[in-house]
Amino acid sequence: MLSSVLRVEHLHMAYPRPEGWLEVLRDLSFQVAEGEFLTIIGPSGCGKTTLLRLIAGLARPVSGQILLRGQPISRPSRQVGFVFQKPALLPWRTTLENVALPLEVDGYSRKEALQKARALLRWVGLEGFENASPAHLSGGMAQRVALARALIHDPSVLLLDEPFGSLDALTRETLARELARLWEERRGTVVMVTHSVSEAVFLADRVLVLTPRPATLAVEIPIPFPRPRDPSIMETPSFTALVRKVREGLTQARLSTDAPPGPSGGHLAVPRTAPTG
Amino acid sequence: MRARRISRTLLVGVSLLAFFGLWEGVVRLAEYPPFILPAPGDVFRRLGTLLADGSLWRHTGVTLGEILAGLSLGTLVATALGYLLAHFPVAERLLSPYIIASQAVPVVAVAPLLVIWFGPGLLSKILVCALVVFFPILVNTVVGVRSVEPELRDLMRTLEAGRWKTFLFLEVPAALPVLLSGLKIGATLSVIGAVVGEFVASNRGLGYLIKQGQQLYDTPLVFVGIGMLVVLAQTLYGTVALAERFLLRGNSIPSEEVR
Repeated sequence: MLSSVLRVEHLHMAYPRPEGWLEVLRDLSFQVAEGEFLTIIGPSGCGKTTLLRLIAGLARPVSGQILLRGQPISRPSRQVGFVFQKPALLPWRTTLENVALPLEVDGYSRKEALQKARALLRWVGLEGFENASPAHLSGGMAQRVALARALIHDPSVLLLDEPFGSLDALTRETLARELARLWEERRGTVVMVTHSVSEAVFLADRVLVLTPRPATLAVEIPIPFPRPRDPSIMETPSFTALVRKVREGLTQARLSTDAPPGPSGGHLAVPRTAPTG
Repeated sequence: MRARRISRTLLVGVSLLAFFGLWEGVVRLAEYPPFILPAPGDVFRRLGTLLADGSLWRHTGVTLGEILAGLSLGTLVATALGYLLAHFPVAERLLSPYIIASQAVPVVAVAPLLVIWFGPGLLSKILVCALVVFFPILVNTVVGVRSVEPELRDLMRTLEAGRWKTFLFLEVPAALPVLLSGLKIGATLSVIGAVVGEFVASNRGLGYLIKQGQQLYDTPLVFVGIGMLVVLAQTLYGTVALAERFLLRGNSIPSEEVR
């Protein structure tokens, strides 16, 4: 494996609940190589969003550590770009100003920030929408803006938390293809959480399958398709085989953790409303 | 658009004309003496004399000064405290009984106390004014700051924005629409505050003028005072509304225009 940018080591995470601790992540370890596109897939509520929040430094783990280029992450950093489930655009700023926000926060001159933002906005295919209000953008366009904004710092790692989760199926597919193309132009290290198996396989160099809560690594499936990838690979038998492999991984993960039932198995009888996404 | 504005101006004109016409009609039909209900003409004549000797401007200036100072002071304290309360629930629990109490007691009842403590001069009026303005702006600040979505806060954290940058880039613009609607209420309330203060003890200001008119049965003078207060309140409200339109441009919360 190439040099790893990101190392997740023996990560444990739990949230306090009135009934006790809700264990979300259990002894999760993996690495992400420089320039790798990693997708993480797992049953909903398994703690994928928690994992990304930990990598982003937005939350602290109970134990274990995350190393970014050898440095432990203890708080949010510009080295990590984050695209949230919702676009999280500031409604009082134009599209262009939203992309420029990170640089303005850093204290760059407005002119410089806007100039760089303009180039990025063109790159994600939104030329001509610079002065549009976020309220007038479609869901897919808004996520492109969020992507451009997350990249303006040139982060070491880009985290995508189900960025297409709230989009309709058609837009979702278009955007996934678009993301593949954009990523192939730019490379960079990406960790993306998704619910869609075919999306995970199409985009990734490697797919991590997580178990249900408390999440740990179930299987790891390398995706050997060459780049650039054409959407037509999705119709090939080898693609279908990989999709099946991921699906099987998911099913097996569910079966194996369903085995020890009761509160002793780490599952607490809590309604599935944990803020873990 | 233009035609609509013209028709609106026309409507205001018609409404004013009807108002004064009705007033004049009532006075003529009922033959009230001027100290009960003066005719519009009497009031305008009184207005003329007050303008001619410059006393109206002087008194209006005094009241306006109290209003502006009180409004600024009240807004400053209320926004600062509101920001604090929005961020520290402990502070809210600690202070909210006092804040609510300050609202439960009518300002008319507190005003004499303020005059005793701070004298019959300008300061006590400014404080009454600030007190009236304080609450709506405080509440709106708290609501505004709390309305900031958690995703946006997370976003600012990932950008390594500290407290000050988060305040500047996120909290101020996010809270501004709510804050400005609080300021609109505050601006009109501040007029009440100033007059209440002047009623308690003063030798200047529109409140003083009205009180003098009452004591001398110079009812037209009372009317001129009230009219001037209306003009002041309208102007203040209009100024904030204008600032709102400029500051928020297209991105405001849908605000209802009250005129």
